[in-house]
Amino acid sequence: MSRTQCEPREGLRFFGRISASVSHEIKNVFAVINEAAGLIEDFTLMAGRGVPLQPERLKSAANSIQGQIKRGDAIVRNMNAFAHSTDEDVREVNLVEALRLAADLTARFADMRQIRLTVGESEPASMVACPFDLTRLLHSSIVAAFDSMQPGDTLAVSVSPYGGGASFSLSVPGKDAPLKNDEPFAELARAMNARVEVDEKTGTSQLLLADKGAPA
Amino acid sequence: MAEKVLLIDDEVEFLEALSERMEIRGMDVTTAENASAAVSAINSGDFDAIVLDLQMPDMNGIDMLKIIRKTNPDMQVILLTGQATLEAGIQAMKLGAMDFMEKPADIDALTDKIKKAQAKKMVIVEKKTEKKVNDILKSKGW
Repeated sequence: MSRTQCEPREGLRFFGRISASVSHEIKNVFAVINEAAGLIEDFTLMAGRGVPLQPERLKSAANSIQGQIKRGDAIVRNMNAFAHSTDEDVREVNLVEALRLAADLTARFADMRQIRLTVGESEPASMVACPFDLTRLLHSSIVAAFDSMQPGDTLAVSVSPYGGGASFSLSVPGKDAPLKNDEPFAELARAMNARVEVDEKTGTSQLLLADKGAPA
Repeated sequence: MAEKVLLIDDEVEFLEALSERMEIRGMDVTTAENASAAVSAINSGDFDAIVLDLQMPDMNGIDMLKIIRKTNPDMQVILLTGQATLEAGIQAMKLGAMDFMEKPADIDALTDKIKKAQAKKMVIVEKKTEKKVNDILKSKGW
């Protein structure tokens, strides 16, 4: 796949939207750490006034801090991988990892709509692609699928090799295919040689990505 | 008198730690993890102040603020958010939020704002009581 010819401003907007979401998540992590650390400080001040320290309360606050550090580390690791997706115009991309990254970066958007986003069993697949545009395409298709879903629904996504390219599958257990067409991201899909197909029998939407040079 | 505070945020660990710290400081704290729990709490309790997260999964804070202002126009609301955008802050203040704080918040600053909210609410209650008394005096013609 060659470098896409999409409007660069759209790519910048996408980078901004993801960065804003990530920074918001990190702020929440800091907020919890701030209160848990403050609670430990409160306990020590109370101990100074003769109130006995309760080890289990200290342990609970410390565990909260450790848990939030793990959460924050995962967020920053994803942000780092996303930032490095702009290093090269095209490269060999592990599509299972690319899908996981796109799902992780989209998780907060799902949470805000009270939708559960899961990455299901995928077959090993890779192809030459623009990593940044691929992340954008996957994020756009997942968010477009949310538009047909209800709070409480689960969106399952997975990937498998398909005719030299790849097929990304999106489905909502017990419901119709969530993505009917590529209308919300048509320009990007065209630029990336991608198209949407719907299998009404299985209730699955397929985002098909053609191999470099192959027709979509 | 202990300040009665409703704390609304979808981050459970944040709610637990902050509410415990407020209780240590002598406040009476009720927590709600989502908008529907918050609405139930507002309908069943009389709070001096509400500390509200701007972004929640089932309703954004601005919409929540509109509901609060509609049902409890005198309620003192402090918005607490990880996304302190100027636009959201301006909109919140226009809708009658008493204050707007960015996460992570300083507990002393937040406590101070809650105390001010309680004082403000007491002034409003006193004014209403005074008006009621004056109305009664006028109607009775004493």
